[in-house]
Amino acid sequence: MQLNYFKIFLSFVGCCFFAFQKGIGQQSITKANIAFIDYTGFPEGQSTWDDIGFSSKYNKVVVGVTNHRDKVALFDYDVASGKMTNNGLIGDLAHLRDFQWQAKIHSKIIEGNDGYMYFSTDGGESREEYFMNHPSGYAGGFFMKWHPKTKDFINLGMGMQYESIKDIDLDPQTGKLYGVSYPQVHFLVYDPAKNSMKDFGRLGSSHVPRVLFTDWWGNCYYVDWRQRLVKYEKNSDSLIFAATSLPAFEGTPGGKIVTGITAYAKDKKNNVIYLITYGAKIVALYPDKIGIGKVVDLGGVADSSSKINPWGPYVPNLNIGNNGKLYYIVGGHGNYVIENKTVLIEFDPKTRKHTIIYEYPVDELSEATGSDTKDKEGNLYFAGRRDLDKNDHSAPFLIKFNPGKKVQK
Amino acid sequence: MIFSPIKVLTVATLVFLADSSFSQYTYYKPTEGFGIEVSLSNTNLKRMPMYRNSIASLAVIGDNIIGGTAADEKLAPYLFVASLNKKELIELKDLNEVVKGQRSIQSGFFKGKNNTLFAGTIANKLENGTTGSGHILQVNIGTNANISITDLGTPVRGEGVNAITGDEKANMLYGITYPSGIFFSYNIASKTFKTYKEVAPTKAQFDTLVNEYHEKPEEFLSSSLAVDNKGLVYGSRAINKVFYFNPSDESFHTVSDLPEVWGRRTLGRVDAWTKSSDGSLYGGNGGDGQLFQLDASTNNVKNLGKPIMMNRLRSMCFGANGKLYGIAGALPGYAHLFSYEPKNEGFKDLGNPQFILKAPGIEQGIEWRGFQLRTITASEDGKYIVMGEDEALSQLLIFPVGD
Repeated sequence: MQLNYFKIFLSFVGCCFFAFQKGIGQQSITKANIAFIDYTGFPEGQSTWDDIGFSSKYNKVVVGVTNHRDKVALFDYDVASGKMTNNGLIGDLAHLRDFQWQAKIHSKIIEGNDGYMYFSTDGGESREEYFMNHPSGYAGGFFMKWHPKTKDFINLGMGMQYESIKDIDLDPQTGKLYGVSYPQVHFLVYDPAKNSMKDFGRLGSSHVPRVLFTDWWGNCYYVDWRQRLVKYEKNSDSLIFAATSLPAFEGTPGGKIVTGITAYAKDKKNNVIYLITYGAKIVALYPDKIGIGKVVDLGGVADSSSKINPWGPYVPNLNIGNNGKLYYIVGGHGNYVIENKTVLIEFDPKTRKHTIIYEYPVDELSEATGSDTKDKEGNLYFAGRRDLDKNDHSAPFLIKFNPGKKVQK
Repeated sequence: MIFSPIKVLTVATLVFLADSSFSQYTYYKPTEGFGIEVSLSNTNLKRMPMYRNSIASLAVIGDNIIGGTAADEKLAPYLFVASLNKKELIELKDLNEVVKGQRSIQSGFFKGKNNTLFAGTIANKLENGTTGSGHILQVNIGTNANISITDLGTPVRGEGVNAITGDEKANMLYGITYPSGIFFSYNIASKTFKTYKEVAPTKAQFDTLVNEYHEKPEEFLSSSLAVDNKGLVYGSRAINKVFYFNPSDESFHTVSDLPEVWGRRTLGRVDAWTKSSDGSLYGGNGGDGQLFQLDASTNNVKNLGKPIMMNRLRSMCFGANGKLYGIAGALPGYAHLFSYEPKNEGFKDLGNPQFILKAPGIEQGIEWRGFQLRTITASEDGKYIVMGEDEALSQLLIFPVGD
């Protein structure tokens, strides 16, 4: 074997170049780009569950914090002042009786054209499912809305008796709410203006996909048990089903398939909605007003590794930066990219490159939830929590992150 | 480190809750239980589309599971055949191709001579809002599982068929119409109907049940009929009564009350009957969910109790192991699979079954949980129990039982 000194020289120069580039990347996003903000005035707060949203009208991030039993406090974070406010317990705000206890808001908190923030409630614990009409049993989840300025709170009524409403979304044009029930996976369409509830029936299997989302026209998307997209087309008031399943890694267990999508982020300018599946795939959906639209497989949520199954990482969150890149936090429920570490990853949909931005031990950040929560300054928000011990006891906090600049608490 | 009493209490509470969460996901999961996907929208696979597949009638002949479905209003039901052995749907027939305007085949099947099945239908509403006419269907399954349907006509014009049974020896069918609850017979050989109004709700009863209690006919009409070993036809009538029809003299006899929970008599109706190997009739009260045994010699109704706290007892059968298996409960709760063995075990609430369902595209298998079960039947040898769901997209769930 002959040594080619010119090739060695070129390789050396190339390595230096890439190392320099990586250094720039690391320097451009530092710990100053992220802030962990505590919820104040609710010491028994234990966790948050996808229940985060942004009020563009009033520049506030709204989050529901639960004690994971029977109290959910509604917080808002004022972006301009940095003030976190506890607005009270939803049970009190909605005038619920004891037998109507609610353990979580598990839905996104979504802004309506009327300025109200809409969400739904969830039983969220064991006694929900089997106690039924026992005095301590779960009555059922409600649709609710809260106004960030006037603080007006309106209970819009129940979805299905004994069933939680796991997630909702909203058609801003008609004001109709979409919901999915737990555990029977019924797809619901509720028109508050007419107090009209339409139950489209069961779409899922043994585990309820947690996320539904809408497109620019107000159509709503969910998945069936084969992880095929199911679209509620508002014009025809009916469901249509994709012919094929969303992309999945070979060997993805059935339990991952049936659970569908865990997070989404919308890029309206480029007509694309990014999705993350429970099987750890990133998918680009190019929605059409009529029909399902084109689906593109963007690969896994992390670089492949012999140490983890490609479908293993758990990503119940997703945001898109003003730079067009995706940001998500991997970890939680025992599924990690790096053992017992929670990582924030940047993913460039154009190059399909993953970059680990931050690593945290689980007692600093164990899991984050929330989809597509961004303020006007390009700050991205996640509902985070940290483990207090190994028995799923945790403390919640708000994560504020901006890949382009330092953030203030 | 200082522990505050509140923190200690909070941690203790969370430990308790964490512990209790371990019991949350316990389902009935016999190792060899399996599901068959028979419903799926927008597919090239042989499947029933959404809202037309609630499995309302069910029978097993040899390897063939035969189902009759109920559809949503303005839609038509299917008859289907699935293979126990292949674990897949093998044949489908849209009833609208044979008898137009029908919505459901919810009477249950009666198996007559030469494995001929009979069922009744309920029609969709007519354009003027009135009820359409249901039909009696004769269903024959060919050796290649092809489905042959013969329309035997309408028992009562403007009425559907809520329940059907038959007597193989007498070559007769018996049924109850919907919504008026008129009893009828059908002579299979002569192809003639005969109707009887003796057990139909009276106008006064209709006024009470519909106007005062806001009940629908399906909440007080007999959903099931049974023929005992003497050829007597048993059913229920308003309000909360058991009757039998004696074909020999065409007489009706109201013999007993259904078991009741105090104050709920108006809901009493027979949801399901099944007959044990010794000829005993077991019934389920839809109003309150009690299982009862009818002593045909004395016409005494013995209340065996409620398998679960909810109402409804929609379907029952006996397995080869001598146990009665049934479906208790329904919306707004979940259905529970239960078993009943009179000597030693009594009731056993098996809860929601959850079996592995495999099909092309989901070869790795997914777990299918049965929330809303509508029908249950046993294979001819009693070694398999087959359940049909009542969902927007319903599937079959099957499990083996020992001898």
